[in-house]
Amino acid sequence: MGAELGKYKSCVSARSTDKEVLKYAQDGGIVTSLFGYALDTGIIDGAIVAANKEFYAKYPSKCIQDSSNLDMIEPWRPIPAIVNTKAELLAAAGTKYNISPNIALLKEATRSFGLDKIGIVGTPCQMQAVRKAQLYPVGMRDVGASIALAVGIFCMENFPYQSILQLVEDHAAMKLESVKKMEIGKGKFWVYGKRGQVVQLPLKVTHKYEQPGCHVCLDYVANLGDISTGSVGSPDGWSTIFVRSKIGEAVWAKAIADGVFETQPIEKVKPGLELVTKLANEKITKNKNTLEARKTFGVGKALRNPYI
Amino acid sequence: MTRVISISPTIRHEGKSGLVLDVDEKGIVTRGDWVGLSPVRGIERFCTGKKMHQVPKIASRTCGICPVPHVLAGVGAMEASIGCEVPKDALLLRRIIHSASRLSVHALHAFMVLPDLYYPGTDTRINPYSPEPRARAIADRIQRIREIGQDCVQIAGGEAIHPGNPRVGGMYRNISPQAKTKLFDLAKEGNVLAHEHLDCMLALIRDFSRREWVEIGGARVPVPKNLGYHNQGYLATDPLYGTSSLEEHPSFDLARYAEVSPEHWYRGPGEVTYGDPTYPGGGTLPEGTAFDPAREMCPAVPIYDGQPVEVGAAARLRRFSNFDEKGTIGQLVARQMECIPAVTELEDCIDRLNPAGAVRAGTLPPGDGKPGWAANEAPRGTLVHITRVKDRKVRFFKMIVPTSWNMPTAGLALAGSPWQLAEFVIRGYDPCISCASH
Ligand code: SF4
Repeated sequence: MGAELGKYKSCVSARSTDKEVLKYAQDGGIVTSLFGYALDTGIIDGAIVAANKEFYAKYPSKCIQDSSNLDMIEPWRPIPAIVNTKAELLAAAGTKYNISPNIALLKEATRSFGLDKIGIVGTPCQMQAVRKAQLYPVGMRDVGASIALAVGIFCMENFPYQSILQLVEDHAAMKLESVKKMEIGKGKFWVYGKRGQVVQLPLKVTHKYEQPGCHVCLDYVANLGDISTGSVGSPDGWSTIFVRSKIGEAVWAKAIADGVFETQPIEKVKPGLELVTKLANEKITKNKNTLEARKTFGVGKALRNPYI
Repeated sequence: MTRVISISPTIRHEGKSGLVLDVDEKGIVTRGDWVGLSPVRGIERFCTGKKMHQVPKIASRTCGICPVPHVLAGVGAMEASIGCEVPKDALLLRRIIHSASRLSVHALHAFMVLPDLYYPGTDTRINPYSPEPRARAIADRIQRIREIGQDCVQIAGGEAIHPGNPRVGGMYRNISPQAKTKLFDLAKEGNVLAHEHLDCMLALIRDFSRREWVEIGGARVPVPKNLGYHNQGYLATDPLYGTSSLEEHPSFDLARYAEVSPEHWYRGPGEVTYGDPTYPGGGTLPEGTAFDPAREMCPAVPIYDGQPVEVGAAARLRRFSNFDEKGTIGQLVARQMECIPAVTELEDCIDRLNPAGAVRAGTLPPGDGKPGWAANEAPRGTLVHITRVKDRKVRFFKMIVPTSWNMPTAGLALAGSPWQLAEFVIRGYDPCISCASH
């Protein structure tokens, strides 16, 4: 294919130089440190991130708030929130493997939150939403120009909350409350308990729990982010970074100059871009087939294809 | 000999309307009928049976220039009917979007009348679209004021056009401290610009009021000193915000209001006897065109104490600030003068707002069908929504809209003016025909 990694200006392996961030971070602490730096330097004046129950308890006014989701505040369910400080960023760090509707806060960020320069982190599909809102702002007045930094994270697939509940509580036999970290890597779904337990599930088990919408997704490494990041390709504790847009390039260069990250050339690390490319290819090929199958799903009838 | 002239559609105001004018041999109007032609959408009717939370959002879509008053009168009426008090900070947020929208709507109207006005001391009309610096200075300032007003509504109200934040019982959410600071900066900038804008507009309007003639369609038309005068009285409920039946002594008396069909105030069928092809914008309607104002008029006619009245900026200043200038000039002056109290109120409410304060009433009573109403002083005048809510559903809904009050009044005010100035006279009311028809 050749286009599976999207357009980018540079690619490195990196991690935060902030020890505190690394303590909370999923991988190299890239998103937390990058937004922290962007907040400090005025590149953004707030960021939309996926927070959680504990965050909501502490900062309710920073979260999505309408009566429909108040009873959905459960452990490991992400809650989109707007953060303005490093403390808030840290409180929201870490991957939650289920759907976080971050774009739902995008317009509100420019309204009652009063942001002029929004930072937003999200999966590849959410980066697509951001870019689409910028180019075709349907009901998104004044939003496009307020987006200052969009950081995409690699994503193979996502899960509804019920799936995570079942995977963790039934398959991994662990109460969600006692989970410290979840991770998909090395062909396994890992669940780490607060008391030191480690459970690994083969990915085969997780497949039927995937959200069906992910099966038509043709983007693995967040092609439309200003900067994209993810764990695949870099060693543990490090992240792979694609610097893609002019904005991304300017912010990244400043952050490097200010010592926010340490980097290694991607060519020097194992498993490197080769694995990223391979996984991207796998995802795109598989999902293209799904899309193809939708054409002839019915007898003489097709299912809709959003790409045409 | 009387001639009948019809200008339709009229321009530089919201919506669609036409004028039917009886004119004497000197070209002076002896009877004017100003007919609203925006089709009735039947909002009152189709809101009946819908949920109380939905109706203010629908009512908002009556008009995109003044959605804020419709939302606020809407939620206010629901709250009055179910008997629910909104928290203080919610009211402050509502006053913020109300005053910000008044500022931007008045500034928009300045844009509508600029082409009628002249650069002081010259015979050159103002073209706000022209790239020349004099025009740009005026027009750019108006645009910035509108931007500021809309940004404030957007931040505090969720959206500049059809704000989503107001809800029955208060607001959906308070704003962040960061947003409050931003609002303050915007209001401060708006204050300076509003003063400059007022000075500028007053100079232009004063100059116009001193003119002996204006040029329309190549002819010199004399400007009477009593342009747009009428004897219909004035109605206003509050200099700034409004009133509702929840108040102990509301400043609007529903018992003195009635609504009649247009037949009571409008002429019957007839036909145009004189067409003037030189009138700007393609001429007046040609001779022989049939009309029937009483039937064509889409809005119903609200009356107060049995008579049409004038509402709007001039009515408010007259009632609450000893303003005594009458007619079209008085209306233009009053409207631009109101930009200052609007921006002052904006600053004041932002100042008093506590971003940590609650903005939703605890539990909402479902309503037992008791009537309730709320009046909102929209930029164009008193807007009243009346409703009866039972089990959270709207059982009755009625809107009395500023331009509906003003249309028959303005028709009467046309008498005594040269017919070529009729459009200028109705523009003095800053008409919104979509609001009037609803
Ligand atoms: S797989 Fe695609 S659609 Fe699914 S969450 Fe990831 S980016 Fe979004």
